[in-house]
Amino acid sequence: MNRSLAFLCGLLAASAAASTALAATPQALFNDNCSACHQTTGKGVKGAFPALAGDPFVQGDPAPMMATVLAGRAGMPAFKDDLNDADLSAILTYVRTSWGNKGKPVTAADLAAARAKLKTAKKPASLQAH
Amino acid sequence: MAAPSLNGAGEVLTRRRFFEGLAAFGGVSLAMAGMDALGFGFASAQTAPPKLEGDPKGTKVVVLGAGLAGMTAAYELTKAGYQVQIIEARSFAGGRCQTARKGFQHTDLNGNAQTCEFDEGLYINHGPWRIPYHHRSTLHYTKLFGVPLESFVNDNDAAYVYFEKGGGPLAGRPIRKGQIAADARGYAAEMIAKAASKGQLDAPLTAEDRDLFVAYMIAEGRLSPTDLAYTGTEGRGFDVHPGAGVEPGPGKPSTPYSLSDVLHSNAWRVLSSVSGYEQQRTMLQPIGGMDQIAKGFEKRVGSMIRYSCVVEKIKQGAKGVTVTYTDKFGERDTITADYCVCTIPLSVLKNVDADFSKPFKAAMSGVAYAPVNKIGLQMKTRFWEENHHIYGGHIYNDMPGIGTITLPSTGWQGQKGVLLGYYAFGGEAAKISAKSPADRAAFAVAAGQKVFPEYAENFENAFSFSWHLAQFNLGGWAEWGEEGRKASYPVLCEPDGRVYLAGEHLTYLGGWQAGAIESAWQQIGKLHARVLQA
Repeated sequence: MNRSLAFLCGLLAASAAASTALAATPQALFNDNCSACHQTTGKGVKGAFPALAGDPFVQGDPAPMMATVLAGRAGMPAFKDDLNDADLSAILTYVRTSWGNKGKPVTAADLAAARAKLKTAKKPASLQAH
Repeated sequence: MAAPSLNGAGEVLTRRRFFEGLAAFGGVSLAMAGMDALGFGFASAQTAPPKLEGDPKGTKVVVLGAGLAGMTAAYELTKAGYQVQIIEARSFAGGRCQTARKGFQHTDLNGNAQTCEFDEGLYINHGPWRIPYHHRSTLHYTKLFGVPLESFVNDNDAAYVYFEKGGGPLAGRPIRKGQIAADARGYAAEMIAKAASKGQLDAPLTAEDRDLFVAYMIAEGRLSPTDLAYTGTEGRGFDVHPGAGVEPGPGKPSTPYSLSDVLHSNAWRVLSSVSGYEQQRTMLQPIGGMDQIAKGFEKRVGSMIRYSCVVEKIKQGAKGVTVTYTDKFGERDTITADYCVCTIPLSVLKNVDADFSKPFKAAMSGVAYAPVNKIGLQMKTRFWEENHHIYGGHIYNDMPGIGTITLPSTGWQGQKGVLLGYYAFGGEAAKISAKSPADRAAFAVAAGQKVFPEYAENFENAFSFSWHLAQFNLGGWAEWGEEGRKASYPVLCEPDGRVYLAGEHLTYLGGWQAGAIESAWQQIGKLHARVLQA
């Protein structure tokens, strides 16, 4: 069953890899990729999508945050195939330092390391059409 | 097939290398074919509802959610003698089994309010939209309720493949799938047939088997039986179609693309020996919209449904379950029953105040819900039929955020039509859903314009839906990872006290209506066995 329509998943992954041609600002990257759920204000939607503004999780140890964004968690999709390390680090740093958040920035190198760690763990197949 | 050991000539090497690649692919498709062959036995393991024999003596069951799982449970339990009430958050039944047509309204969590403006008779199934022929549980109810079905074209050789990230002259051009299929498989068959006929395959074939194998390759690739060459075939189409008299008479055959162009185009990625298990070539859809199935159920269980009632709290005692909900006037009310069948998606349920056991609660966070987008675009002419001769099927493409463009399998040759402008999930879907409905439509139209020159000028209006932004869904379907399946899934398949969960999320048919139905069947079977023992 996981293999059904594997090619479509392949398409999605392939299409996702090529993105963001021109350098966008961290804010624009966040608004583009994250604000549908977390909102441009970082306040999320109560009962549905968690607030990032003031959330200790996004201001503390960056490791679990990076793992979450790369591999997804609960209702959140995985972004490892959609965004490169530079864009992801820009977005995460934006989240960690905006709306009064006081987290430390993360670098593209941090993301690359987190991504390498992720590779050793088995990941489920990507999404399928129904 | 083992690796070749001879030949140093460049030409042969090239041929060999290609063949090895094919063998690798053959391995994949063979494995899939094998799985499917097995699947025919296991698929839709339940083909009929459980026989609920014995008297439940008026046992009361409250069902949370009037989607297909909830209504299946209510319908079967009522028939068996239970007293059933259904609590439904929306003002209509069906859950994700929805169809948008004129007047259908939806406001998403970001406050985007839409009212569908399609012409009378046109619709989009923004939830489930196709039924594989082997989903016998879904088909059990369409037959029982007299919901008329029609074919859903899930595979169409005439439909275009559009890969803009490929290379060579075919990249970024709409190419008919049948042309790519004919050429890719024709060239492949030619190489294999020629090698086999010269004894160059190191497969253990007897002389007789070899002849049969070559015969199969000739048929598979539509090769010339005399020189085993692939030079095109009529099935890929004609430059001038055959017809009457001497002009056009026999017509003018089309010329195949070169092997190199086909390979670099990436378009061959849509080809495989058989369809995927869930993506059968023969699929069905209810005439007039998928919600005809929901309405079939609603006709039979509608009197048990309390609409526009949002569940707030689920509390269990030694003897029953009490559910607190808010009705459409904002009034709080409760309902008490002996048992509860809860079909609320886990994405939503985890925010409900429920006194589930700790392991049960923990298990609920072991699943992800997929962001899923669809958009219906009303077109003022059916240019895909009139000008391109494409009747249904998918435009497979590699445009980010689009997934597939799908042409309607209904209303053939009518004046207008509604096509599916995108069907995308994951991060790409989340991204597009941040746009306003007007911008989503503009995004979809711009993509379709690359495939059909008539797209933009025919576009009239759109209706878009993002399941992760739908308040009572928060996602299109449950996505179980390996870990979740192992640790959390089995926990949730068992009741927590007097509460039984049911829905597509508790099956290996996730995201399909058959999953909702079969999960309900399984859970009410367990519930009934317990009631008879009590």
